[in-house]
Amino acid sequence: MSDRAESTLHLTRRTALGALAAGAAGWALLPSRPRSHAGVPRGRTEITYWEKWTNREGEAIQAVVDRFNQTQSRIWVHRIPVADITSKAMVAIGGGDPPDLVGFFTYNVPQFAEAGAIMAMDEFDGLRDGLPPLDPDLYAPAVRRLLTYRGRQRVGVNTCYTLGLYWNRAHFRERGLDPDQPPTTLDRLDELGEALTALAQDGRIERAGFLQNMPGWWPTIWPIFFGADVYDAEADTCTIAGDACIRAYEWVQATARRFGPEQTRSFMAQFGRSNHSAQDPFISGRASMIMQGPWMANFINAFNPGLDYGAAVFPMADELAGAGVLPGLLEADVLAIPRACPHPEEAWTFFKHMQSVGVQEALARAHCKPSPMRTTSPGFAVGHGNPFVGAFDAIAKSPDVKVLPQTRVWKQFSDLSISAFDAIWSGADVPTELAALQSRVNDQIATDAARRARRSRA
Amino acid sequence: MTARRDLWAGLAWTSPFLLGTVVFLLIPAAMSLYFSFTEYSLIEPPLFVGLDNYRHMARDGLFWKVVANTAAFALGSVLVGTPLAIGIAALLEARVRGSSFVRAVVFFPTLVPIVAASIGWMWLYAGEHGLVNRLLALVGVRGRDWLNDPATAMPALIAMSLWIIGSPVVIYGAAMRDVPRSLYEAADLDGMGPATRFCNVTLPMISPAVLFNVVVSIIWSLQVFAVPAIMTKGGPNEATNVYALYVYRTAFDYAQMGYASALAWVQLLITLALALIVVLGARRFVHYRS
Amino acid sequence: MRTRNRSNPLARLTLYAALALLAVAFATPLLWMLATALRPADQTLDPTVGLLPRITTDAGDTVSPLAPTYWSGVAGVVADNTRAVLDSPTHDFPLYMQNSLKVALLSVLGMVLSSAVVAYGLARIRWRGRTAVFIVVLATMMMPFTVIMAPQYLLFRQLGWIGSFKPLWVPAWFGGAFSIFLLRQFFMGIPRDLDEAARLDGCGHWRTFWLVIMPLSKPALAVVALFQFMAVWNDFAGPLVFLNHERMYTVALGLQMYQNQHGGVPWNLVMTASLIATLPVFVVFLLAQRSIVEGVATQGLKD
Repeated sequence: MSDRAESTLHLTRRTALGALAAGAAGWALLPSRPRSHAGVPRGRTEITYWEKWTNREGEAIQAVVDRFNQTQSRIWVHRIPVADITSKAMVAIGGGDPPDLVGFFTYNVPQFAEAGAIMAMDEFDGLRDGLPPLDPDLYAPAVRRLLTYRGRQRVGVNTCYTLGLYWNRAHFRERGLDPDQPPTTLDRLDELGEALTALAQDGRIERAGFLQNMPGWWPTIWPIFFGADVYDAEADTCTIAGDACIRAYEWVQATARRFGPEQTRSFMAQFGRSNHSAQDPFISGRASMIMQGPWMANFINAFNPGLDYGAAVFPMADELAGAGVLPGLLEADVLAIPRACPHPEEAWTFFKHMQSVGVQEALARAHCKPSPMRTTSPGFAVGHGNPFVGAFDAIAKSPDVKVLPQTRVWKQFSDLSISAFDAIWSGADVPTELAALQSRVNDQIATDAARRARRSRA
Repeated sequence: MTARRDLWAGLAWTSPFLLGTVVFLLIPAAMSLYFSFTEYSLIEPPLFVGLDNYRHMARDGLFWKVVANTAAFALGSVLVGTPLAIGIAALLEARVRGSSFVRAVVFFPTLVPIVAASIGWMWLYAGEHGLVNRLLALVGVRGRDWLNDPATAMPALIAMSLWIIGSPVVIYGAAMRDVPRSLYEAADLDGMGPATRFCNVTLPMISPAVLFNVVVSIIWSLQVFAVPAIMTKGGPNEATNVYALYVYRTAFDYAQMGYASALAWVQLLITLALALIVVLGARRFVHYRS
Repeated sequence: MRTRNRSNPLARLTLYAALALLAVAFATPLLWMLATALRPADQTLDPTVGLLPRITTDAGDTVSPLAPTYWSGVAGVVADNTRAVLDSPTHDFPLYMQNSLKVALLSVLGMVLSSAVVAYGLARIRWRGRTAVFIVVLATMMMPFTVIMAPQYLLFRQLGWIGSFKPLWVPAWFGGAFSIFLLRQFFMGIPRDLDEAARLDGCGHWRTFWLVIMPLSKPALAVVALFQFMAVWNDFAGPLVFLNHERMYTVALGLQMYQNQHGGVPWNLVMTASLIATLPVFVVFLLAQRSIVEGVATQGLKD
């Protein structure tokens, strides 16, 4: 600011800043018109529905919502995509400003139900809305179990999924294997995994046959294929250190040993967050077999439609395969009505609409998932985005299918099991690691139970 | 008389701040202290449990891991960041043509919204397509997935935090400009080389600024939240789960506001203790001009 | 130093090399973000594409960056990416910008006025306890957000502020530690004779403040305003905790959600969104670089 040239420069800058501030102020003061908010017809009660889905899945739920809005004269549902939905809903409910409907994860149910933060479905029993009542018998049994907590239905279903084995038929052919014969037992899975793996000259993995840490999103699933439970709902205890669970994780560890924990990890690391993109290990042909959900077909269609693949029920331990059971894991997305939401009756109307077979099947088709209902309409599989949806649907309806532990500490359980899985993959002693995990989880359960007890006394 | 009137005037003029501190800081802090003695899930009223939450910390394995991670981040960013910032400032103070442009370039990352900066760095570190691995590939080094590897995720975050070093650099630069020329001339007369002169003259003279920056960056690094929350979500395998993130999660993901409040209070006490230790410990080394 | 460098060409060369290295190291991340935002989707992950995207004619020929049509091609890509971000069906960036601006302007106004008043009380009035208050000001910088975030949320709920922007801007109207500190330092430097003269003219504190101190402090006030603007624009934790509704998201929060939900996959769009969020700060920095740098430097002078 010492010489004149600089001071004129400064002046013009100041003018520019001033103009900028004025312009900004003008824009900020303009009434804001959120795009999403436009078009609420006059006279409708607007209810808000928070849902975690975005992109393709978000568009599918929006289509369902749009159709509902069109058939309505009274209610207008406004869907809002919300990330971090658990914490946002907790804060909103705790803060007394809840939405009318929330799309939760199943593990939220025990937490919110126990706290009385979401309404149980029987609370709507006395409501005369001229609509047929909700029929819980419509749900597949495992789905119904997921929706129920302490004997009462707390949430509705909003699509479900099971997990299957995808295999790359071209890789099978290339190794002289029958592409129509996916493994049905874990022993066969190991054999094929080894046969299909391709190693580079320096020992690096070029292509993986089958690795349990890929994508590694379900670290507690493996005991299911040995017929074991990781949680005893009756006794409310973690049972992941049981004999069958130990066998399951020893089987997992054997794979890691076979190909080397470091080798497999650095192979995995190449994919990073690329799951479900063109770089996904299975979609890009870098993995021959993978455990994945039914949606995988959608992504294969989008990124590598030429991929020659199949999907089937995941293989299981010999003794199960011989016994003719069909084990698996069923998970669902759920729909809840928060207590003290502004429009519970309107929310209930929309809720019941969502629980109809027609809507759930339409949504399941759009999400490329199996139907969560007890019976599947004959036309459901025709033209379904996943040509192998029958396998996923069969698991969903199997009497042997399991659901994730319905405990208030599931999130901690899950976080702890990720570390334990990692330790086991790296070579930790399986019984010791599982015993430690079990005692940590049971510690969490006991702490939680003690707190519940103290709360109910108070 | 005047003293009394001035007292009232002073209180009146500072009252917005005093009021704001009480309402937005002290009352919430007191509430949080109370919550730390309760079991509280936000969706249910608080229930008094005495010292349970504090006792639970000793048995909480994740708590210790998080403390270790936070300590690693703080140590990394302070121990590397301080000499780096002093070095850059010294370089920029050799006022040659273009140095003010370089200063602007060094400073600008400070202003980039932390969300944008974090996302940008995720892309730099990304699998095989990120810039870091592409550059490594040029020299024949096989890169790794920096943010998804438990061994490299934390160092990657520390490296990213060193990019946002503009403020300390500017502060050191201002402090260096304040060093009287006469001291340098005297040093030259004593026949000191540039290195000795830097250690014997510049460093002691800028020591108050160093102390200030060290304290500020300790406070900042113990509170780091957005960077790991966005870039790694605390993963992989909790390798970047830092204190503030753990508090946030405990409160909002695990629905344990009571325990989270206890954790937060411990954080406050640790911060105060560290700041005090640094300030007292540095007394002997910091040179204040009278 | 200047003389020594002139006399030694080797030292001078090393210095320039070091400066160049520094500039490259600090600019690269941003340049790479920019380069990514210039790419169409199919080149985002293409390892053969360098800093500049590949532009092809309809016939499939590659256009040289020296040809004028190349740059109109790049402009077309930028326009496409920008439109894809601004018209995103799930994220309403223009609305987020407007939200951020609203919050920023309200809190800048409050922060400047209140901090100036408090700083006047600390710098221009001699009273017992002002040192203590000043220490409290500095101490408030130590409070971790984690300690107060949840109780603040409950407090704001009690006040009926949840569902509005108030939690993000009302606290600024009670001053902030850094702004008060900066203005106090500045006010201390204004000669006391001016107050005395004003007092002889019959001015009380209020008029002295408005007629003497404030007009002389415009540069410092501008710095406080700029810093507050940037702090609000960049804030992530506050909006994350206090805002529930997507239609109230600020730019920083909206950007995080956008990134989160795309899993970082369409990097060209995610980078475009990041740059859109950075652009206002960049413009402000270009226009007021000097004031900002001076403002930061003042922080270190707490002896």
